[in-house]
Amino acid sequence: MLHKYAVLLRMKWVEMFEYRLASLVWVFGAMTQPLITMLVWMNIDREASATFILYFASLIVVERLTTAWDVWELDREIREGSFSYYIVRPFAHVHWAIAENLVYKLVFFVILAPVWLVAAIFVPALRLKLDWGQLALFVFALLIASAIRFLFSYSFGLLGFWVTKVTAIYGMLEAISLFFSGRIAPLSFLPPVIQQLSFYLPFRYMVGFPVELLTGDVHGTAGDGFLLAIFWMLCFLALTFALWKRGLKKNQAVGG
Amino acid sequence: MSIHVQHLQKNFQVHVRNAGWIDALRSLFHREYRTVEAVKDISFQIESGEIVGFLGPNGAGKTTTIKMLAGLLYPTAGQILVEGFVPFEQKVEFKKMMSLVMGQKSQLIWDIPPMETFLVNKAVYEIEERAFQRTLEELVELLELQPLLGKPTRSLSLGQRMKCELAATLLHQPKVLFLDEPTIGLDVHTQEKVRQFIAKYNREHNTTILLTSHYMGDVTALCQRVMIINHGQLLYDGDLQILSEKLTPYKLIEVRLPEVPSVSWEKYGELVGVDEGKVSLRVARERVTDVSARLLHDFSVADLNIQDPPMEEVITLAFQEEVHAS
Amino acid sequence: MRRNLRIFREFFRTCLVEELEYRSEFLGNLLSSLFGIAIAILTIQIFFFQTDQLGGWPYADVLVLLGIFNTLQGLIDFALKPNMSRLLQNIRKGTLDYVLTKPVDSMFFVSFRHLVFWRLVDVLLGLGLVAYGLWVKRYVPTLSDLLIFLVTLFASLVLIYALWMLLMTTAFWVIKIDDLSFVFNSFFETTRFPIGTYRGWLRIVLTYVLPAALITSTPASALLGNWSVGATLITVVVAGIFLWLSRLFWRYALRSYTSASS
Repeated sequence: MLHKYAVLLRMKWVEMFEYRLASLVWVFGAMTQPLITMLVWMNIDREASATFILYFASLIVVERLTTAWDVWELDREIREGSFSYYIVRPFAHVHWAIAENLVYKLVFFVILAPVWLVAAIFVPALRLKLDWGQLALFVFALLIASAIRFLFSYSFGLLGFWVTKVTAIYGMLEAISLFFSGRIAPLSFLPPVIQQLSFYLPFRYMVGFPVELLTGDVHGTAGDGFLLAIFWMLCFLALTFALWKRGLKKNQAVGG
Repeated sequence: MSIHVQHLQKNFQVHVRNAGWIDALRSLFHREYRTVEAVKDISFQIESGEIVGFLGPNGAGKTTTIKMLAGLLYPTAGQILVEGFVPFEQKVEFKKMMSLVMGQKSQLIWDIPPMETFLVNKAVYEIEERAFQRTLEELVELLELQPLLGKPTRSLSLGQRMKCELAATLLHQPKVLFLDEPTIGLDVHTQEKVRQFIAKYNREHNTTILLTSHYMGDVTALCQRVMIINHGQLLYDGDLQILSEKLTPYKLIEVRLPEVPSVSWEKYGELVGVDEGKVSLRVARERVTDVSARLLHDFSVADLNIQDPPMEEVITLAFQEEVHAS
Repeated sequence: MRRNLRIFREFFRTCLVEELEYRSEFLGNLLSSLFGIAIAILTIQIFFFQTDQLGGWPYADVLVLLGIFNTLQGLIDFALKPNMSRLLQNIRKGTLDYVLTKPVDSMFFVSFRHLVFWRLVDVLLGLGLVAYGLWVKRYVPTLSDLLIFLVTLFASLVLIYALWMLLMTTAFWVIKIDDLSFVFNSFFETTRFPIGTYRGWLRIVLTYVLPAALITSTPASALLGNWSVGATLITVVVAGIFLWLSRLFWRYALRSYTSASS
């Protein structure tokens, strides 16, 4: 198992450097929207500028380190039929996906960490005031967040066995999650209804919660946050398993 | 016994799509389905080490059958055993002893060299280092892969890619190999190479091979035994030569003459064509020797050539006549 | 020019026929467009939950601006974006030669060959939002407001086209990147909010170097009755200059392309 993973990781690594390196430009492309949102907030509340800079910088980093595009990959593989090649081989498809996610997230981290460190020299707002315990909590929340997002994306991709327009629906959910995940603003700046909803919906635990831990401004208690985060992770884990089993059955019934 | 198939049947539910605006709207809420019987009732057995050609026009049910044999689809009814496994259970042991090549789809990783795919398969199939090296060496030599191993897959030609595809599927030395249109889109020269390789590999490893193709050349070059399928039913299962004799009970005799005399050729056989210095006749199989002797006696023949009717013709006839399995 | 219009009409027709083939997709696309604009309005609502102005613009004015943004975005997705991937492919595979041998203006041809009609829904929705913003403000534009609005909107379109082509033309040199449109999108996103939202050097760049400030803010101001002849003239002149620059750049790129491939 470990050996298989090592080989897959190496392959994904080589693959990325061979061609997909160009797609890393997206790291920077994906920054525009949060940066503009940050500027808008800084315009609304000038005194709190430093808070917004830290919040949105953290958001960009967490966003990149948790992002998963498995729904698009699965959609393509199921549509083109190359998914069959994963079924006839004795190693489940999900491992390929996990390996890919690990590699890309590592690369994003390697790019973004130094950028942050250099930026912190010039922008005092970016200097973190966390002790090791808080940092550990952040890393833990980040891991859960990327697990939730991966499982969310992957289980949605599995829906492709039944529905043809999965990516479109997923895109809509991503857009809705703008408001609940903390991407549009720190939770405390949102209307009370949205704040309450965000607390219970899964989206905050995909992005917003780790960001709050990193900026040191947790909404509610961290304990509650972790409970809900783990709850959602287990939900999506169960969902992924269920969909995988049924999806394979469905695929065997109608062909791929 | 390598493959055992009994009363195999597969139905699909197909979504009926209509063209109009209103129908498009309606289909969002209510979908109409129609049942398509892709495979109606098929039974056959394949011995270990046999190469069997699976022939049929598009949509005949070839690919559906192959997919059921490989475990990608489960049958609506009937039984399949491949090397003692029930394919659709998708047991790891089953996956490790079979392989599937689909001519129109690729398992090679697009952006990186084929060697990377080989290494991934080595890990995934848990192939031992020694066995891997040995098999790889053999495949590289047989398929002349050496110059291709280090190039990104996307820069390979279709033919080169198919060779690598074959290598990737054979690394774990499967006992059973399913080839679905392996030569599709390849040029004549590469088709020939791939055929030679498959024949040689089968001889040396005694691999059971089931091959679908709509190129007659693949089948005539590789398979003694063919199964002809159309509309989800097996029309013929048996020797290719016998089929040919049965369906086309004649041969073609071509006579070259210094000059073509104007005689009534009908007494020798059915006239197919007269060219400058060349006459083609269609003659019943049992009269071939007789007619040739007479031709040689009656005219000053420069050259005489006896041919079997082209295989395409045989198969077209087979599809039309719906001859049942003998 | 007349001939170009005729050719454009032909492009229009063939693409429309193509699209009618996929009419079952229409409803889904319509839904996603409606959804998109709803999200954009909600975003504005979130900001106005904390403030009563954005960059000096009150709520209703920002709605008008957002409407114009949506309209322009729809036009980009309708006519410009569908052509980009093909242009990149043409350059990469050398099939641009076919285009160059055709008796049409090459820049015109590569930028308008393919159209995606359902995106015009976004244009309609955008105009609807503009109307709604005006209604919220209870402002009825005068005839001169409308006239100046149309002039500045046209100038914005020319400006967008010029900036777009400037970026696409770099594809002659930067061929490794699959998708250049996100660079443009990043820039275009800044026009979603009034220019007053930005401060410092960013504002200077977006006003004088990459004139994002002109693209949505000028037509929106015009429609709201805050226009001046001077600002309108500047917009038109700037658009003209950028169009001229983009043509110059395109010709330069073609020269180096043809001399390199022969």
